[in-house]
Amino acid sequence: MIRVEAPGFGSTVQDRGRPKHVRDGVPISGPADPFAFRAAQALVGNAAEDACIEAIGLPFSFRCETSRVIAVTGREVQVTVRDRLPGWTSIFVRAGDLVRVTGTERTRYAYIAVSGGVTTEVVLGSRSAYPRVGIGAVLRAGDALPLGDARRTAEYAGRHVTFTYPEDIAAIAGPHADRFADEALARFFSQPFRASPQSDRQGLRLEGPAIETPEGEMLSFGVVSGAVQVPRGGSPIVLLADHGTTGGYPVIATVATADLGSVAQRAPGETLRFYRVDRERALRLGRERAALLDTA
Amino acid sequence: MNPRITAFGDSALMAELGEVFDESVAAWARTLALFWDLGPAVPAYTSVVVSFDPDQVDAEIAERKLRDLVDRGPTYVYEAEPDKPHAIRTRLVEIPTRYDGPDLDDVATRSGMSRDELIRVHSEREYSAIFLGFLPGWAYCARLDPRIIATRLPSPRPRVPAGSVGVVDGQTGVYPYPSPGGWRLIGSTEAVMFDANRSPASLIRAGDRVRFVPR
Repeated sequence: MIRVEAPGFGSTVQDRGRPKHVRDGVPISGPADPFAFRAAQALVGNAAEDACIEAIGLPFSFRCETSRVIAVTGREVQVTVRDRLPGWTSIFVRAGDLVRVTGTERTRYAYIAVSGGVTTEVVLGSRSAYPRVGIGAVLRAGDALPLGDARRTAEYAGRHVTFTYPEDIAAIAGPHADRFADEALARFFSQPFRASPQSDRQGLRLEGPAIETPEGEMLSFGVVSGAVQVPRGGSPIVLLADHGTTGGYPVIATVATADLGSVAQRAPGETLRFYRVDRERALRLGRERAALLDTA
Repeated sequence: MNPRITAFGDSALMAELGEVFDESVAAWARTLALFWDLGPAVPAYTSVVVSFDPDQVDAEIAERKLRDLVDRGPTYVYEAEPDKPHAIRTRLVEIPTRYDGPDLDDVATRSGMSRDELIRVHSEREYSAIFLGFLPGWAYCARLDPRIIATRLPSPRPRVPAGSVGVVDGQTGVYPYPSPGGWRLIGSTEAVMFDANRSPASLIRAGDRVRFVPR
């Protein structure tokens, strides 16, 4: 069991997500920064389906009732357990220790994995919270979260993943790239955008150069995480974990899965620029990221 | 139009099956989604988006698989349960409805009908749940009687209550949760459209027949 002391603002339990109910309009959810999530899980020896805490609005603090290996990942995160420790490192925490996770003004999401995983209720095949429809809830001070049996012991501590969030974002053109004017596409792949404060787990809104949208209405279609929708008015939205299953705005490009976290972690006012890759290169980026976890 | 398959990022594909909505194209999209077994699949009016895990299956192979499914054509279209892909589906869902929406009179006037006529025309027809999206349990139901004229509100309401029955552009549907919304509201229901702890969670599922029963 772990007990939440400082809950942050909007923190939830997340696992890989809920892919089997998209046909009923249920968002997949899961981590906004999938690579940081995977890294945290790998650092504590968890299985792919285990759940961890996605902390938003740091600081986030908690106590473990039993000794556990834990790891905290995310952008510019640090952990304090008596001493201040780096993120992206597995740490052995003793029963009763207060664990305090902090970030910088550039941290949006931190992942706190505990060996054995958080074992809150499974709803529709997943522990991922989607509070909008009463699936799970935002974490509050005093919440007690059950844990599974520890998968690793103290000797597992000290492992580390080295990862730097890239500045520029790899994206594949389309599926509606050919409906945009060549200049609009060129502008999208060259001009810098700014992350809007009106961003959340559903999507990162962009401010910056207006992208001219194609004429006419579109019939709604299925969408995926990373899709860059361009509504009329021209300010693109990059869809993230809690996005609705369908959308109706043309999708100029789709962010490479490997760079989804770099988009999600962009703080309000920060800039981001997209560069064009083909599917092969996007998948190669994903394999390179995954290889960073081999050391964990 | 020849069906077109496009990459949707590095781990999904979009098959566009037609350019204009018609029930047979939508049914084809739903069937393709049921047959896709490599990951999530979302059907819509004229397209289906299927995902795969590139760590498990080569993207080229996933693409060829979708191409093969699409190439079979729409001839094997039948509605099926997700767990029984070959069962014929004829489920009828009835939504008890009070025709008390704030836009009822407005829609009736625009459609050149009396309030009672509008209620009769809306509730007489059996709709098809084309697909779900926007919110859990939100089914896009078509088609509205063409005599019902309902365009999107010029500026959406900031908060539409759960259970509101709306119409817009040839479609009708029920808001499962409070949400901003631009549909014209003609009624309301107490039916629980989505409940994560119920099985199935969604009252209306893609491909169901739907009727609104006046209360």
